[in-house]
Amino acid sequence: MKRRVWLAACGLRLGILGLGLLLAVPVLTISVRADQAAAKPQASSPKPAARLGIGRVATPDEIKKLDIDVMPDGRGLPDGRGTAAEGQAIYTAKCQSCHGANGAGGSAERLVGRESGPNFNFATDPKLVKTVGNYWPYATTLYDYTYRAMPFMQPGTLSSNETYSLVAYILALNKIVPEDAVIDQASLPKVVMPARDRFVIDNRKGGRVVK
Amino acid sequence: MITEPAFPDKLTGPGWWEVRGIAWSGRGKIAKVDISVDGGKTWQPAKLDEPVLPKCHTRFRLPFEWKGGEATLMSRATDETGYAQPTLDVLMAARGPATAYHFNHIRAWKVLADGSVKFAGGA
Repeated sequence: MKRRVWLAACGLRLGILGLGLLLAVPVLTISVRADQAAAKPQASSPKPAARLGIGRVATPDEIKKLDIDVMPDGRGLPDGRGTAAEGQAIYTAKCQSCHGANGAGGSAERLVGRESGPNFNFATDPKLVKTVGNYWPYATTLYDYTYRAMPFMQPGTLSSNETYSLVAYILALNKIVPEDAVIDQASLPKVVMPARDRFVIDNRKGGRVVK
Repeated sequence: MITEPAFPDKLTGPGWWEVRGIAWSGRGKIAKVDISVDGGKTWQPAKLDEPVLPKCHTRFRLPFEWKGGEATLMSRATDETGYAQPTLDVLMAARGPATAYHFNHIRAWKVLADGSVKFAGGA
């Protein structure tokens, strides 16, 4: 009982994300073990759901609803389309109260701005503000993040068309795509972000070096 | 990172208390976690709770004697590749003064003389 109370307190302290991680780790562990069990038919232990007496196998429909990740190259982008004009109306209704008119000046992160210093020197210039326009390496991530996490108080409520429209609007405000661009599954992965070549592959291999 | 004692906990009196927390690494298992109760001057190895699995949260714990007065608690994780969690100074020197993302430096909690616990950043 004491241990449970501690876990609950810890979850509150770390916030919802922390609690999610605490819960997610055992679930991931179980699924890995399930795969290992499936690979070895001679294993005598029953499937985790039966062994632990909890849960059931997720249905394909349930997995599809959660399988919303979009890769940098565009894999995972759904059907649908949108334009900046459509996005502007949605932005005004659902985004502007936090992010400000035209993607700047609100209480939440600034979305629009191309100021990046001579060398995109974010590590050394504390005055530079990271925006979608000057920092994000892939336009596809804007779809993933917006669809997954926004609006802040109602994540998961945007349709694919609404999300494509908002992406078109933010990219147009940043002058990365033309104002009349149609953003969809085919066009979004082709958008080249200004900071794209400023990122390097993580070459850390572990060991004592701090990078 | 130490999750107990942590704000808004209050140590009710001098004596033996347990420091607890979680450690994790993106490059494998946690090999060890050291605890300092004197702001990083001296370190002692914590006990790791099983299971210790790659990339998973690993619980650690260590009893410490609070003698009253101020004490600065810190934890330092080392993974199986030998990477040790850096101090804030070391991390800033490696990455630049305006760096902000992926801040994995050692965090500190300060126990005040009245037993209350406050976040102390990289101390």
